[in-house]
Amino acid sequence: MTLRITLSAALAAATLIAMPASAAPKSDLKVGMAAQDVGQLDPHRAVSTIDRTVVAWIYNGLVRFKPGTMDPAQIEPDLAEKWESSSDKLDWTFHLRHGVKFHGDFGELTADDIVFSLKRASDAKTSAFSADFAAFKTIEATDPYTVHIVLARQVPSLLGLVTNYSGGYIVSRKAVEKYGADFTRNPVGTGPFAFVSDTPNQSLELAAFDGYFRGKPKLEHVSYRYIPSDSSRDLAFQNGEIDLIYGKQDQAWINRIRALPNSVVDVFEPGELANLNLNITAKPLDDIRVRQAIAYAVNRPELVKWQGADTARPGQSVIPAGYLGFSKDVGLVNTDISKAKALLKDAGYPDGVTIKIIHTQLPQMLGSMQVVQAQLRKAGINLDIQVVDHATFHQQIRKDLSPIVYYAAARFPVADIYLTQFFHSSSIVGKPTAVTNFSHCDVADKEIDAAKSETDTEKQVALWIEAQKKIVAAVCAVPLAEALQIWAHRTDLDYGYELKASLSLGPLLTEATHFK
Amino acid sequence: MIGFIIRRLLSSIPTLLAVLTLVFLLVRVVPGDPAIAILGDRATPETLSALRAELGLDRWIGTQYFEFLGHALRGDLGTSMVTHRAVWTEIAEALPHTIVLTLAAMVIGCLVGIPAGVWAALHRNGTIDVLTRLLSLLGLSFPVFVSGIFLLIVFALQLHLFPVIGNPRPGDLIDGLHKLVLPAVTLGIVMAAYVVRVTRSSMLQVLGEDYIRTARAKGVPRRAIVWRHGLSNALIPVVTVVGLYVGILIGNSVLTEIVFNRPGLGKVIVSALTQRDYTMLQGMMVIYCFLIVVVNLITDISYGLIDPRVKQ
Repeated sequence: MTLRITLSAALAAATLIAMPASAAPKSDLKVGMAAQDVGQLDPHRAVSTIDRTVVAWIYNGLVRFKPGTMDPAQIEPDLAEKWESSSDKLDWTFHLRHGVKFHGDFGELTADDIVFSLKRASDAKTSAFSADFAAFKTIEATDPYTVHIVLARQVPSLLGLVTNYSGGYIVSRKAVEKYGADFTRNPVGTGPFAFVSDTPNQSLELAAFDGYFRGKPKLEHVSYRYIPSDSSRDLAFQNGEIDLIYGKQDQAWINRIRALPNSVVDVFEPGELANLNLNITAKPLDDIRVRQAIAYAVNRPELVKWQGADTARPGQSVIPAGYLGFSKDVGLVNTDISKAKALLKDAGYPDGVTIKIIHTQLPQMLGSMQVVQAQLRKAGINLDIQVVDHATFHQQIRKDLSPIVYYAAARFPVADIYLTQFFHSSSIVGKPTAVTNFSHCDVADKEIDAAKSETDTEKQVALWIEAQKKIVAAVCAVPLAEALQIWAHRTDLDYGYELKASLSLGPLLTEATHFK
Repeated sequence: MIGFIIRRLLSSIPTLLAVLTLVFLLVRVVPGDPAIAILGDRATPETLSALRAELGLDRWIGTQYFEFLGHALRGDLGTSMVTHRAVWTEIAEALPHTIVLTLAAMVIGCLVGIPAGVWAALHRNGTIDVLTRLLSLLGLSFPVFVSGIFLLIVFALQLHLFPVIGNPRPGDLIDGLHKLVLPAVTLGIVMAAYVVRVTRSSMLQVLGEDYIRTARAKGVPRRAIVWRHGLSNALIPVVTVVGLYVGILIGNSVLTEIVFNRPGLGKVIVSALTQRDYTMLQGMMVIYCFLIVVVNLITDISYGLIDPRVKQ
């Protein structure tokens, strides 16, 4: 009897503790992220989805994509209220908004901060995006509210480089000088949310920046929680402890979360295109017939079916769909196993061929690769996959240790960047100027270079299409599928805009984001 | 006794030194570059080498080793490569969470395991005994991430008694205890499963000894036979086993912390590993080894306290 009383008292107490304290209108947003910790809050070094997502809430650019979009045509004023350029597009002048404040005691934003930030973003020692700024000749402040940029040559999208993305974020010069190397854990920007604290393995806390130039944000507090375990994150979301959650590019996950009450799954751009990059200098792939055999053996629709109709769509070129300069008529071949076998036989492999490759253990990427492995096997191409953890994978593919590299990426939506980083000879891994050209492709250098300084947009696009055709013809890469970004939020959360795309790879939080 | 403790402590020094060296080498044998882990896939070789220089990774490995050893011996574990915070600070924040969790699990394990083991031994081959053994087998077979998720589904999602996310509010004792229950039970199940088996077999052995038979013949009440004569002797191997299994418990605590999102050492070490945070990883391994050395020491001491023969 006493046991029963004790038990029920304990249960009652536990229930009381578990009950929410009050029903006041919510203004605290809790975000669940698949992470142990943030890596870099220095926007010029923030490259992972984890870092990018939160950096976008803290910083602004000179200009910005309209919230919820990634369309370069919809770029609008951000820190600069207007801008003009010379007719040859080499001289750019940006006029800053007056009275923009940095978080904390770092005072008003001036042209000096812009010059400092852009120079910092273009320096390889302080920035992961320095290559993007190669064409910048001078960046000067002509007065406290005017910045003058002179380019050495034309770039496909100057506004794209100074937008709220990657190297375009503006930092406080005073803060960077004060914190030095610790700036990455003490970020100071001008955005709607200011950094409060970061507890590794727990959460990052942000507070509304009352002095935000677009007005005080409706949300008062944002807690960016690191919940690395997928199932715990899902359960916490299901239990209402988290309002916004990083999702999985997996149809089963989408279906399960959609079926929950009070939840909305967000599916948005950009699509990350996964290419099978084939090293054209390594045996046996140095024989174009082997590469063609692989191209014929890959079955894109089947791969999309496996990944899920809501998140995946077939790759249509070696650059992602919708980018400026993209074309779907670049000569991709459809699946034809007998052709693949014939090509392989021609190349001197009548009994098939085995290729040893290195791949990551990240479940989604590994699963896709295993589907491709099964497809290639039908044509007699055996992939001997050596599975390593993700950090090791990145290190080893950069040492040219895998002749086939599965790589999924989204970039600024202009053909130039993707083509340059993945298919220009200066980006070949191993070179001092290396980026991510794993295929050692050099067949379209001429077109990629020419397009960079072509002033006539039509001719520029034509050059980019020509480059894609050449890369496809040489089978430097076989496009597989594009995977869209997947997040989910509780129905009472309103972003304040329609989320169709986000280059920061997570939903943008703005001054208008609120709970209904 | 004090001489015994000092001798034990001194003999731990070469162990720790060997561990430090091994840790340094192991961490570097694992492929993966901290600079790439920090900067990600878009970093240029220039940026990467700038960061490597900043982290001191461009120096000769011997220099790095002696510097690490020198600092470690002076109690300085360095600064995390990723968070730029002192390794000690991070450990000091995480350690109490792990200790509380492990202790709670040990208490649960002993409170459940010892009586159940005794009970099973007294009903040898009866229903209770069979049931106990079956349950302990289940407890051992289920990995903590499975039983943890199961508990979360039942007690958090269905009954709404506990939250899913278990990082307690700092300074809030009630909140801390409330969030400790499920992880402690999850980990306690494993402990209980071990303890019950050892207690049962040890108790069976003791109950078969001559002095028990003598006590029975002399008409000592059953209760006294079981608890005073039987259990106090049967506990000696149990203590050893509890001590030995602390290592397993610490290993399981890593998984438990991940499932319940508790900010203990386990989460820190997994995060350091995935981010190739060399300094953090070294510091954590040193602390883990130190913990195990200390636990073994405590086991030996308590062994001595329970069984006077050990001290001689």
